[in-house]
Amino acid sequence: MGLKVMLKIEKLQVSVEGKKILNGLDLEVKPGEVHAIMGPNGSGKSTLAYSLAGRPGYEITGGKVTFGGRDLLALAPEERAHEGMFLGFQYPVEIPGVNNVYLLKAAVNAARKHRGLPEVDAFEFLTLVREKMKVMHMEESFLSRGVNEGFSGGEKKRNEILQMLMLEPRLAILDETDSGLDIDALKVVANGVNSLRSPERAVVLVTHYQRLLDYIVPDFVHVLVRGRIARSGDRTLALELERRGYDWIAGMERGVPPLDPPEAA
Amino acid sequence: MASALATRIAAEHAAATAAESLSGDVVSRERRRAAIQMLAAEGLPTSRDENWKYVNLRPLEKVKFAPPASGQQALAGLTVADLPAPIEGYARYVFVDGVFAPGLSAGATKAGIAVRSLRDARGTARTAGAAGSVAAAGVAGTSGGVVSARGAGDSALPGSGGNVTTLGQPAASRDARFALLNDAFAVDGAEIRVSAGTDCPTCVELVFVAQVESQTGASYPRVELHVEPNARVGLIERHVSIGGGANFVNASVRVDIARGATVHHYRVQETGAKAVWFDTLSAVLGQDATYRLHGVNVGALSGRSTINVQLAGRGADAAISVASLGDKQQIQDAFVLVEHVAPNAKSEQTFRGICAGRARVGFNGMVVVRKDAKGTDSQQSLRGLLAGPEAEIDVRPQLEIYTDDVRCAHGATAGKLDDNMLFYLLSRGLDAATAQRLLKWAFLEDVVARIEVPELRRQIERSLAGQMKEADALRELL
Repeated sequence: MGLKVMLKIEKLQVSVEGKKILNGLDLEVKPGEVHAIMGPNGSGKSTLAYSLAGRPGYEITGGKVTFGGRDLLALAPEERAHEGMFLGFQYPVEIPGVNNVYLLKAAVNAARKHRGLPEVDAFEFLTLVREKMKVMHMEESFLSRGVNEGFSGGEKKRNEILQMLMLEPRLAILDETDSGLDIDALKVVANGVNSLRSPERAVVLVTHYQRLLDYIVPDFVHVLVRGRIARSGDRTLALELERRGYDWIAGMERGVPPLDPPEAA
Repeated sequence: MASALATRIAAEHAAATAAESLSGDVVSRERRRAAIQMLAAEGLPTSRDENWKYVNLRPLEKVKFAPPASGQQALAGLTVADLPAPIEGYARYVFVDGVFAPGLSAGATKAGIAVRSLRDARGTARTAGAAGSVAAAGVAGTSGGVVSARGAGDSALPGSGGNVTTLGQPAASRDARFALLNDAFAVDGAEIRVSAGTDCPTCVELVFVAQVESQTGASYPRVELHVEPNARVGLIERHVSIGGGANFVNASVRVDIARGATVHHYRVQETGAKAVWFDTLSAVLGQDATYRLHGVNVGALSGRSTINVQLAGRGADAAISVASLGDKQQIQDAFVLVEHVAPNAKSEQTFRGICAGRARVGFNGMVVVRKDAKGTDSQQSLRGLLAGPEAEIDVRPQLEIYTDDVRCAHGATAGKLDDNMLFYLLSRGLDAATAQRLLKWAFLEDVVARIEVPELRRQIERSLAGQMKEADALRELL
């Protein structure tokens, strides 16, 4: 294909409160690809997601990350969003007093401003929001509610995906978007993500379980152990993990050499 | 022993009395004298008083306490256009430096409501209709349901069918001493009487304009609201400045709500940047009475509100919500005392304060549950937000309970913007300044959302946004 690399992570090291969490992580994501990052609790999955989004408190102690050829780590969180990165939070934050619709509009306009476009037309905006809300099975009343305020776990996750659909990011990093979802909500969320898949966009799915991957089929699966990628493969790796458990990979990390990296990467 | 300040106040009072500029009609001469005597005995509060330590009391040293010789003199050049936009459905009564200005007032009072200038209500044969006729507003307004003018006996207002009346009695609490100063010097005020069963949710707007410089004289806004049983009434009370001078304003408001009556009381303090504003509000609720007090404080160099709400009747229900904004060198202080006297009454205090620059914002919310007040339900939610490294916020919930079988809950916080919320907004592409503004705005929402008069709410939001210097960024919200 010869497509350019969109996201390139090289030997990334990250500490949180003085404790090293990521330990020289390498990853390349090209446009059109869906990567799943799996791994046991504490392996650094969420740290990777937050570090890429620029959350304060995640100290980069080594390595480099480029996004669309730019030095990602030099950008402020909002600049990363402007460049087309989106983080779907594992625990979406409740902000009472800020309307959902206001946040959506402010976010869309911030992106447009960055691209030198005028503010979105109010009517067009509402039409688009309603259309996307249908995809996410959300009720109209949701628009006037406070951001995530009093939402159930499932509603919060659907709201994350709605924001993503409105912002149309080049790269979506979805941090355990499947956790706490029942099967119906999981299908809705997966459907939302799939609707955004295109040759220009990429998705990084951070997940603990392979269940999500039945609905959003990844091109690559990576297993994170102790802050670095211990094993990469295609979707069958996720199925194998499901069967054998994370101890299988963790055991390899402790001494057994990993298998050959997949050719596709 | 009288302090130097109290001595000077007494001397100014004596001089003004001798010049016959303090009418015994508005406040009886005995009561004025009693107030001066109590001030001489007690003195005005000082920063050594626990409940006054956040207030800047120094400007008092330079104030000329007597009102300007002729209140109406200051009116020259003042027009309706200088005032806040009127609120639809509310009859407007304007007072300049505490004196009723019929020419600036507009709108017709509804049946069952009588609004009078205290000078007119208690004075001799002055019969000017309260709302006068105002060309600019195009409304030929007169007051409906006029209550006959009474004599000077303001110390014996009837109890309006309720069994509790404290109107007309000197303020008992030491924290209400500024009301004594108003008693001593007030030259006019608004008397609002609502007859039993009147249903008038949109009703009266009082606008108090401060204009006189404090070296020349002081403004003493005065309100007496008297609501008879089972009436429902909405009152807007605003305090503004015109001319940008260093005003000294000392307001005194009394509210008496009889059995089963409901009052929605909106108070907006947006006096000028050099103004010093003091305020004492006392409300007494009869059986099953409801009081909703909404205070918004954005103006003044130094503002202090002392609020005392007494739940005197069984099943009374009071909710007091206050938003205060401070910036630069401003001081915004509020002291709220809610007193549960009768059983099964309910009270709620909500405070949201934002403090930037080198400002100080304080809220001291006290709940006292007396021994007969079984079944009391009281809630306090007091929150302060620091928006600058040199700002200072002080929120203090206090609780005194002298009985059992009560439910009292309080929460108080003071802190900075939530980092998680901030990062969430940034991750959506909002720039840091917008994200912070939005969160500050959201912080006030608990108070602002309760303002049920849409136009007033819009005006208040604009005023808050202006104070936060964020009018542009927030325009979409307004």
